[in-house]
Amino acid sequence: MMNTRTGAGILGDPRIGRLISISTAGSATNMAVDQAILNAVSQSGIPVLRFYQWVEPTLSLGYFQGLASRSDHCQSDQIRCVRRTTGGGAIVHDRELTYSISMPVPAGQAGPRSALYQQTHAAIASALACFGVHAVPFRLTGTGARSESDNSHFLCFQRRTPEDLIVSGYKVLGSAQRKSRTAVLQHGSLLMHASEYAPQLPGVSDLLSVPITADDLIPGIVANLSECLGVDWQAGHLSEQEKLDAEQISCERFSQSGWTARR
Amino acid sequence: MSRDESKLLYAESHEWVDLAEENGKTVGTIGLSGFALEQLNDLVYMELPELGRELTAGEEFGEVESVKAVSPLYSPVSGKVIAVHDDLPESLEKLNDDPYDFGWILKVEVSQANSVDALLDHAAYQKQCAEAG
Repeated sequence: MMNTRTGAGILGDPRIGRLISISTAGSATNMAVDQAILNAVSQSGIPVLRFYQWVEPTLSLGYFQGLASRSDHCQSDQIRCVRRTTGGGAIVHDRELTYSISMPVPAGQAGPRSALYQQTHAAIASALACFGVHAVPFRLTGTGARSESDNSHFLCFQRRTPEDLIVSGYKVLGSAQRKSRTAVLQHGSLLMHASEYAPQLPGVSDLLSVPITADDLIPGIVANLSECLGVDWQAGHLSEQEKLDAEQISCERFSQSGWTARR
Repeated sequence: MSRDESKLLYAESHEWVDLAEENGKTVGTIGLSGFALEQLNDLVYMELPELGRELTAGEEFGEVESVKAVSPLYSPVSGKVIAVHDDLPESLEKLNDDPYDFGWILKVEVSQANSVDALLDHAAYQKQCAEAG
């Protein structure tokens, strides 16, 4: 649901994006920075790509998930928890790489940005292929592949939607979105290794004979995203305004127990 | 009686509103267009506003989730929420088949008649949808 872009800012060139280099932060800060970036992209129209990790193992709940459903997964029920603003199922952020991409949205279009799911996942699959990992979207995994987005599983990585990346039968990449009037935030998680808090979910390195790291993959992902989205990702950083906004959003929303327990 | 979608007004953000006079007041019944529902593709969650909430035209009144994407819903008119379709969040699978009757989401007692001035008639909305592809 969307209107034409409003606001006082002068729109920037959507073909030149900002690349925020990988950082590690706490759960509330990570979520707040993504929201602050989405707010900025809604005004500026300039895409932003960011990679990040988490200072401690953290469970992120999908926006509509009930907090009480944590009891469905006992291995993760004691680690820190944060509620995302994006949909989908819960994710254990431990031995994984999280990315976020915020893009302006063309006027007059509603619903999920399916093309963005496809393009980002294709970029990550291509980066994985350079290390011998054969990752394919769930929709291409053969006859009988069906969507399991019926929310019956608590964990995102136990659900299946068409663009999820699958390696050797295991889901290794899942993403979710939050729309504003004029932009979309998509963030996702690439499992690198199984976590002790979700041991049933192997990462890409567990499925390879030679381990790879997030740092190995990021340059290829950026290059591929540049090609498929037509965006020249230039190294950047958070603006002072974005830092201030993120701090405020963290305090007022993601750090609040009421936010986490709102459902 | 079925609601005639060609007689409705539409927001650019794809909400429709059916305006009617009830007991001397203007009441707007609001829903999501069939075009938007096709693009949303299988809603799984919907959050409704509270009764009595005062909305300004363009303000978020709820949210939906589909294909792991959360999208806000915007009120096409200003006014007070006087009814919500409580059964709808548990019956979202029926929404695509009947977006203009079963699919009503909320009713608003319109407080500013001019808040509808920026809305699109059916022809203009159809044009917007065609351009959006």
